Amino acid sequence: MTTTQTADPQVVSAIVAALAEVLGQDLTDVTEQTRLFDDLSLDSTSVLGLLMALEDALDMQVDPEGLEQSHLETVGSLAAFITESR
Amino acid sequence: MSPPHPTFLTGVKAACTGDPGTPFVLLGNFEVEDEWARDEVGLPTVGGRASAAIVNRMDEFTVLLAGPDDHVVLKSAPDPDYLHWLAGLGVDLPRILVTDSHDPAATVSVDALRSPRLLAALGDLAARGAYLLPHGMSTLEEQLCALTGLAPALPPVPVVKAVNSKIYSRRVAADLGLPQATGWECETVEEFAAAAAQAARSVAAGRRVGVKDAYGVSGKGIVVVDDPRRLDQLVRMVTRRAERTGDPRVALVIEEWADKALDLNYHFTVGRDGAVRFDFVKEALTENGVHKGHRIPARISAAHAGQIMAAADRLGARLAADGFHGVVGVDAITTTDGGLLPVLEINARNNMSTYQTTLQERFMGADTIATARQYDLTLTGPVRFADLRDQLGELLFDPARGSGLLVNNFATVNAAAPDTDDPRPYAGRLYGLLMAASEQELADLDRAIVATVKKEPAHV
Repeated sequence: MTTTQTADPQVVSAIVAALAEVLGQDLTDVTEQTRLFDDLSLDSTSVLGLLMALEDALDMQVDPEGLEQSHLETVGSLAAFITESR
Repeated sequence: MSPPHPTFLTGVKAACTGDPGTPFVLLGNFEVEDEWARDEVGLPTVGGRASAAIVNRMDEFTVLLAGPDDHVVLKSAPDPDYLHWLAGLGVDLPRILVTDSHDPAATVSVDALRSPRLLAALGDLAARGAYLLPHGMSTLEEQLCALTGLAPALPPVPVVKAVNSKIYSRRVAADLGLPQATGWECETVEEFAAAAAQAARSVAAGRRVGVKDAYGVSGKGIVVVDDPRRLDQLVRMVTRRAERTGDPRVALVIEEWADKALDLNYHFTVGRDGAVRFDFVKEALTENGVHKGHRIPARISAAHAGQIMAAADRLGARLAADGFHGVVGVDAITTTDGGLLPVLEINARNNMSTYQTTLQERFMGADTIATARQYDLTLTGPVRFADLRDQLGELLFDPARGSGLLVNNFATVNAAAPDTDDPRPYAGRLYGLLMAASEQELADLDRAIVATVKKEPAHV
């Protein structure tokens, strides 16, 4: 599912940077609609690293257990979860 | 050592039931670790697993392990053209039973337990003396035995679960004096915090460490850390969770990352009588720690091969003493300084390498070399085996030639196809055993297959 709301650009850009860090590659053409597992081949093992990188970048604490699969669908849905957690 | 048996599988039957002629019902409940981990506290869990639909269809691997007198239970019937192709190669196929319904998100065991018609058929097989050989034994397969009367080929769940913990692997290796990476076993948050503080010194000194779930699936449930801050963060996350739940338990291992030369997987079978049969050692092909396949034979020295066989014998004896019988795979590595770490983890369940054994016996000559591997596909619609067969043509295995790709799981190709007319691409996996007479031929075949499957096969 794609997100219809527009997420905080600062959060989106932190997510893209964190994704680049855990995937070990430069990411271009990533939008809020980009799917984390299907389009970027993120795996469940990398998600925890992604959250830790986001904690650093946004100076916040994330509760991993509050994450549901739907939050990990796209960059936009993760941004919405992070924005709500801040 | 056990007396020799004509095939790998008859040896397993003798080891697990006392009779090499026992009929088996095979069940490919891959990632059984998720069941073992259910009551354990590992790394913070994050979301679900996107690839569950593909993993659940790895059940089809059992078709090529079972013999003609065995049955396999699958989530859905294999593509008829795939079975026809296998039969044409001379494979003696087992009898296939299918669950009454199929939920892509469920394992074959869960589907089987929801299948009254299948359960009745399994009850008939139980009355004829069949044993259930699951990929690994968890409470779900025990329920299946209880409901059908099938005898379990493997020991009770508490024994199987205990010997599959990475904490057990490390402690047994230490007891037996087998070399292993510096590491710490953690069963409480307090132990984890103390171990993380020590591991942080290793990281500060330039080493990497892995934090692993004791019951994680091989290559998953691991966080590799090269920054001490990440260890602090993990400790904070685990501590916060314990404060919230009031449960201070964890089941985690922290290990220094050794400088690996080769990944290895070796395999042995422990009998009910305590006898240990060494089965094989293969080179494991991994990408970022995730299993991608095997290379047969393993390119290791005779000295390392000897050390591995000796380790297998001692580990097998210890597992038998701890009440286990059945097949066991152990992950090991050779190191860049010429050493061998013979126990990274013990997997007392079927391994990916287990499912290649019958094909190796049937098709690999003394000079054949092989890689078992997966080809990742990007698809926009379901693919028929006939389409793939036509597309791969001469690249497929030919028994007369003795080379080519022997597809050993086709269900995973279409497993993740969406129900609806979602036009977005999705992932598929094609598994096969690639055989050739030389390194060059093997590499050429592999390249040609990669190039061919990149062009998406025609749709139904």
